[in-house]
Parts: sequence; structure tokens; C-alpha cells
Amino acid sequence: MSPPAIVSPFSFLDGAIAALSLLATLWIGLRVKRYIGTIEDYLVANRGMGLYVGAASLLSTEVGIITYMYQAQFGFVAGFSAFVTGLITLGVCLLVGRTGFVITRLREMQILTVPEYFERRYGRGVRVMAGALMAFGGSLNLGIFPIIEARFLAVVTGIPSRYLGWTMAGLLVIALAYTALGGMVSLIVTNYVQYVFLAAGTVIVTLACLRRVGWSGMVGAVEGHMGGRGWNPIEDLGVGFILWQVLLWIALMTVWQSVAMRTFSTKDTAVGKKMFTLTGFLFLGRAIIPMVWGISALAFFWGRAEPVAAPAAGTKLAQMEQLDARLGETFRRDLDEGRLGRALPQVDLLERLAREEKAATPEAARFEDAARDRRGQIGLVAMPWMLAAILPTGILGLVVAGMLAASISTYAGYFLGWSSIIAQDVVAPLAGRELSSRFRLGLTRATVVGLTVFIMIWSLVYDLPGPAYFYLQVTANLFMAPTLIAVVGGLYWRRASATGAMLSFLLGAAASLTYLVPQLKLDVATAGNLSWALAVAGFVIGSLLVPPSRSEAGPGAGGEGQEVRS
Amino acid sequence: MSWAFFWLTTFGVAFGVFSLISLVIAVRGVTEIRELFSALEEERRRKAS
Repeated sequence: MSPPAIVSPFSFLDGAIAALSLLATLWIGLRVKRYIGTIEDYLVANRGMGLYVGAASLLSTEVGIITYMYQAQFGFVAGFSAFVTGLITLGVCLLVGRTGFVITRLREMQILTVPEYFERRYGRGVRVMAGALMAFGGSLNLGIFPIIEARFLAVVTGIPSRYLGWTMAGLLVIALAYTALGGMVSLIVTNYVQYVFLAAGTVIVTLACLRRVGWSGMVGAVEGHMGGRGWNPIEDLGVGFILWQVLLWIALMTVWQSVAMRTFSTKDTAVGKKMFTLTGFLFLGRAIIPMVWGISALAFFWGRAEPVAAPAAGTKLAQMEQLDARLGETFRRDLDEGRLGRALPQVDLLERLAREEKAATPEAARFEDAARDRRGQIGLVAMPWMLAAILPTGILGLVVAGMLAASISTYAGYFLGWSSIIAQDVVAPLAGRELSSRFRLGLTRATVVGLTVFIMIWSLVYDLPGPAYFYLQVTANLFMAPTLIAVVGGLYWRRASATGAMLSFLLGAAASLTYLVPQLKLDVATAGNLSWALAVAGFVIGSLLVPPSRSEAGPGAGGEGQEVRS
Repeated sequence: MSWAFFWLTTFGVAFGVFSLISLVIAVRGVTEIRELFSALEEERRRKAS
């Protein structure tokens, strides 16, 4: 007999709680529209953001349902080893907060976007290229948010999966409404309210996991079902992956547009530095807490697992073929109905058979890949199915309110971040004339609408090549590696030139894109580190071959005693 | 020290500090938002006059 399907207890009361929280956020967002006068008010809240509201805004933007989903998936597939990324984030935040590395000098320049720095330092061409790549990578990154988040909402609220598209559209329209109208002022205020909701939801879910599964249950699941993996990040994930994560997080914390915008919005550089120190610990929780949910889901569904025996076939290869065929018939339905206790042991058995057999029969590697892919798919929906199974009515509504708040603040923050890049750093410089503040404000708002349409379409047509965590990191890495190198080089190396920056962007982006081409079979850490290596090589070689012209020695050029204020 | 103990400590710190800082943000944020609005209102009035 197969395990029963999970039916979410989401009720009218839960729906009312979630809807009221959304309406309250929308009302607040629209009310602050009257404070928006100039592009500076819109993009950086007239640089008046305080420490605690700044921390709330930064966290709300960087925590959405997507964050909970991919972190939980990472915990589900990698066990406690995944925690290392949280420790890396904490270390990087503390480093940036203590030293002011990059952020202090950028904040002092009073810029609105990171590529604006490139125009001052290298010239307009680099600004446009960096802006175009950031807009491209950022849009690809944002492009998978709606489908994954809609899947979470469909599972937790019981909305039939055929309404996924409408769920996505609803989410996007609400975020669009107040971002397009209110800009950063709206974001700072709504982010604060959203942060309170999301923090409450996060604490509730964690306590529910600890009560239902317990720490010992999680330890038991990792020990019993991960084949000796799940504890040591160096053995499980590799030194290459850890190195890449360190580099990427330094970039994310200094030049990732939505983070940089919060730095530019602070009252002064001292508040900016303190904000990073404070948020370092919040970022640690942002990674580790949902990973714990993922490990809880692993324990929860292994607890509901039904025994599975290898099919009675003559050879191991035939057994794998039969098992794979059986999974082909039931897997999708099991995911949609929450019968993960049936799918998980079958996938596990297939992976074990394939691993044992692949030395003797190379064809078995295909089944191992297929099993890993399916394990990742289970990992993505395991956490929401567990929540649907363990949270009671009323509490579920509060959690959904928290998740929706987290999600909409993320959309809003990213809409504003990427649209400001498109409008300020691609369209405006290419227009070839000075655009009025009013026109740029209108252009940024129009870009927010265009971006919404794009990610809606991308979300519907694109299939992920692996775990969501890896996809998101690679699309960010696409422009993060060259951006950080060009910023650091520009600030601290006098010989850095526009040619070096251009080469760095071209090579760094091309290397990252290799991960998104499945035929190349490059693992994520190799693609990531290759991108950094090529971005550095391109930057140094280009700068040495074609030294900077006189016009490039503008504000922010490296060297002793260089004044960076504009 | 075993990995299990190390990760338990890490989780304890992460969850405890997250809860504590969130509480501080919830309390102190209200004052900061009032200050931001006052500053923006003042700026608006200054530009209008």
C-alpha cells in the first residue's frame, strides 16, 4: 500500500491572514509614494536609511520563498555540510563590516549604481557593458523565482498545480505595484514590515521542525541515509567549491546591486559598515535555518518511507532499468501529491545500485545522474510538503503571510535593483544626452514593468539544469566575478585600464555560462572558479597590454593619497 | 570535537542570534522610519519653498 497523499489544512482563516498581511503591505507601500520627488529619493531614499531599518531592508530583499526553497534543498541533498556556506557568509560580512572593503569608497562617491563607478574610472563603454551583463545575469537569476515560489505556495496552500501561472502572476503584480510607484522609500518601509512577518514565520517553522523531528532525528537521517556524507564540507563539497563560495560572497556583499543599493542608501559610511556587521549574523541564519528545515524534511519523509526491494531481474543493469521505468510512471504524481515517502526510497535504491555498478558497467552512470536529479527534485518540494503536513490551521496562515512578505520584498528589491541598472547604466548612457531626472524616473518604472513580463515568460519556459542553489549562484557569478575585480582593480591599482575591464567582463561571463550548457558537463565549482580565474587574467593582461589613457585616471583610480570623493 | 556537536553549536548560534537581532530590529525600526519620513518631509518642504 502506498503512503497517503498529503492534504494541506490551509483554510479560509489562513487565507484571510495572508491576504490581510498583503493588503497592509500594499497600502503602506502606496502611501509613501508622496515622498518620491527625485531619482535619488526613488533609488536610494535620499540616502537617509538608518541602521536597523537598513538591516531589515537588506535581509528582506535577500530572503524570499526562493531562498528558503533552495537553501532547504541544499540541506536536503548535502546534509549538515551545506552549513559551510552560512559560515562563509558570516565571515565575509564581518570582514566587509570591519574593514569597509570596497563599500566605504563606493559610498563616499555618492553613486546610484555600481556601473556608474565604471564610467568615472574607465569610461562609458565599460559602464554600458557592465550594465548590460548585470541586467542579463540578474534577469536570468530572477527568472526562476516565480515558478519555484509558486510551487511552494501551491503545495502549502493546496492551490491546484494548474493555477501555478496565475499564482505567479498575482505575486508579481503586487510586488510591481508598489515598487513601480514607491521606489526605495516604499521598499524601506514595506521591507521593515515584511521583515517582522518573515522573522516571525522563520522562528515558527524552525520551532515546528524541532518539535516534530528534533535535532536527534535530523542527525539520525543524515547518518542513516546519506551514505557517510553530510558532515564534512571539505570532503563532500570540495575545496574548489568552498573557495568559489568565498570569492562569490565577497562579490555579493560588496557589488551585488540590491546589496550595494542598501549601502548607497545609508546615512553615512559608518552606518553602512555597522549594517554589514549586524546583518552578518542574520545572513548566517538566512542560510542555516532553512537548511535545517531541509534536513528535517529528509528525516520526516524517511520516517514515512515504505520499504522498497530491488526488482527481480537477471542483471543489475536490468534492475536499474526496471526501477527507472517504475519511477517514470509514478515520480511526477508522487511529487505533486506529497507521497515523498514512496519516491525517496526508490530514488535512493536506484542511486545505490548505479554507484555500485558503474565501475563494471559504464552505462550505470546514466542512472546515477537520473537518480541524483530526482533526489534534487524531491529536495525542492520536501520542505513545503513537510510544512503542509505538520503546521496546523492558523499557524499555516501566519507562516504563509511571512513567506509572502519575504517573497514580495525580494521581488521589489530586485526589480528596483535591475531596472535601475538597465535605465541608468544601459539606456541613459546610450541615449547620448543628459536625461532629466523625471525622464529617468519614468524610464526606471517602465523597465520594472518590462522586467516583470520577462521573468514571467522565462519562469514558464526554462528548465533548471541542476539544483536551484547552483543555478542562482552561477547566474550571479556571471557578472559578479568581473565586477568585483574591475571595482577592486579600479580602486586599488593605478594601471587598471578600460581594456582590462572589458576583457575581464567578456571572459568571466563566458566561463560562467558554460555551466548553463549541459553538454559541456562542467560542474558548478569548476565553472565558477574558471570564471574568476579568467576574469582576473583578462583584467591583468588587458591592463598591461593597453595601459589606461589620461581620461581613465578619474575618481577612484588607485594609488597613494588618491581622493575618491566626487 | 565531533562534526555533530560543531553543527549543533553553529545552528544554536544562528537561530539564537537571528531571533534576538530580529526582535531588536522590530523595536528600534519604528523610530528610524519616523526619522526617515521627517527628513524626507523636511526635504520636500525645503525644495518647495
